[in-house]
Amino acid sequence: MSDGVPAIEVHDLSKRYGSATNGVLALDHVNLSVARGCVFGLLGPNGAGKTTLIKVLTGISDITSGEGRVAGFDVRRESLEVRARIGWVAAEVILDDDFSAWENLWLQAKLQDLTNWEDRATHLLQYFSLLDRKDDKVSKFSTGMRKKLEISLALLHQPSVIFMDEPTIGLDVPTRRMLWDIITGVHKEFGVTVLLTTHYIEEADALCDQIAIIDKGRIIAQGSPSELKARVRADIVQLETSDTIDAATLRALPGVQDVWAQGDDWMIRVGSSEAFLPLLLRTVPTDHIRRISVEKPSLETVFLDLTGRRLGQEDEPMRDIRKFYAQMRRARS
Amino acid sequence: MRSQLWGLYAREVLRTFRNPFVLLITVVQPFMWLAFFGSGFAQYAKDLASVYGTSNYIEFLLPGVLSTSMLSVGMFGSMSTIQDKRFGFMKRILITPTSKEVIFLSKALGSATRGLIQIPIMVAAATAFGVTLAISPLGWAIWVLALLCTAIGFSSLFLAITARSTDWQTPGVVSNFITMPLMFSSAALYPSSGFPEWMKVISTYNPISYTATLGRDLVLHGQIDPLAFGVLALFAGLMLTLGYVVSARWLRVE
Repeated sequence: MSDGVPAIEVHDLSKRYGSATNGVLALDHVNLSVARGCVFGLLGPNGAGKTTLIKVLTGISDITSGEGRVAGFDVRRESLEVRARIGWVAAEVILDDDFSAWENLWLQAKLQDLTNWEDRATHLLQYFSLLDRKDDKVSKFSTGMRKKLEISLALLHQPSVIFMDEPTIGLDVPTRRMLWDIITGVHKEFGVTVLLTTHYIEEADALCDQIAIIDKGRIIAQGSPSELKARVRADIVQLETSDTIDAATLRALPGVQDVWAQGDDWMIRVGSSEAFLPLLLRTVPTDHIRRISVEKPSLETVFLDLTGRRLGQEDEPMRDIRKFYAQMRRARS
Repeated sequence: MRSQLWGLYAREVLRTFRNPFVLLITVVQPFMWLAFFGSGFAQYAKDLASVYGTSNYIEFLLPGVLSTSMLSVGMFGSMSTIQDKRFGFMKRILITPTSKEVIFLSKALGSATRGLIQIPIMVAAATAFGVTLAISPLGWAIWVLALLCTAIGFSSLFLAITARSTDWQTPGVVSNFITMPLMFSSAALYPSSGFPEWMKVISTYNPISYTATLGRDLVLHGQIDPLAFGVLALFAGLMLTLGYVVSARWLRVE
């Protein structure tokens, strides 16, 4: 791969499952360019098309139309070349449980047609503190250890690009933190481009140099976390008061861009909350204020701004299910 | 391709030995045939020595049971493929420079190897039941190769039929449609000379008949049947080609 060639290039790529009339358009004319050596995040809700994009770029699924290039090779016409240069970390850890850590690495070496892989494998196991467990069956490993081994498999053949599909989904908080450190560490230590998908905003913010926000199969925004946040050049102030203030009073204050009601609260979009809050406190008697909260520009507000929904909204059904089970328990007792 | 095939084939074989339960099932089933069916039938077979060509029914049955066991290993190859699809391991394999054809070959050869493991165990069991085997080294080699061809042929057929399936139950269903009819319409358990005409026709096209007859000629008479061997080699070649082509085109990933 010559200098200047992006690690991943996607032009006008679409993927349709099922027939042209009845099918689902999982990816809708996606364009992407991932520079070499960066950690690139695909951020979007469940079902947005993140996993589909990984499947298409790794050659697991066919492309319906458009073009994808990974490590300088066409994913459709030069699939074997691509697959020799990429690593893959699954959302659910996929290892051969009947095998030891070392045997899993051995198999990966065979699949990548490697010779003299042992030193590299030992180095990786050492890096991930798994060396003393190399002959243990992986079914005995903790989730964190399994993740680490899976990342070792992905790095064994010195790939240019690693795909990580929802790397921290379903992990507890300490393991997630550990994995964040690993992802940043691996990227530095092994000089590999990382493309990860996530629906955790804080994960994308903490890890990624570049982010593409994907929703319903379309890329709706792309840039560094700070560039994306700069798109929403405003703070949101949420205000709850005991008496009725009218919108006009709030709108008249300097720096206010927009005012709208949300339930009993006022939502006020302002250029700078630091400048606005003293003005507000001078205008509204403090004993009338029940609560003020300030939301600084975040990827959350970016997503809200672009789609009108919060990214976490798809978790609602889960909450309903929990509520349902709680009711069931109460009904039974 | 050699490296990938070796890796995946070794995985199949190692997993067999790591999973004693599968190994036990593959060995116990034919052993039951010998022990129960063979012993239960032995007395009547003595009166029909002219039909069976021997007064020791287990001697007659051994080649037949070995043939049908090569038929049933195909199911386990399909099951292990479906397990790889369901657990995502197929994706792990395919996101490397490994083709679907190589996955197919490793599964077919892996199943065939599981079949071959049964030969020494079954031969030892038959010896324990009083069978004496006077077969030349060439005879043994031909017999083992014939069994290998049978196992590869049926494993490939199973894999081709279940290439698109991700359902645990498919191999069992397919097995019912293949194993039982082919076992009973062959010369594996009894001589085909007494079959009605329509069954004779099936028996003529049934590879199991050839595997059983080839083994039986060796066990009873020490004779090599080149025609039967040719038929089995052809069968293995055809099925391998079928499985190869079908897998390249239709093998499902998940």
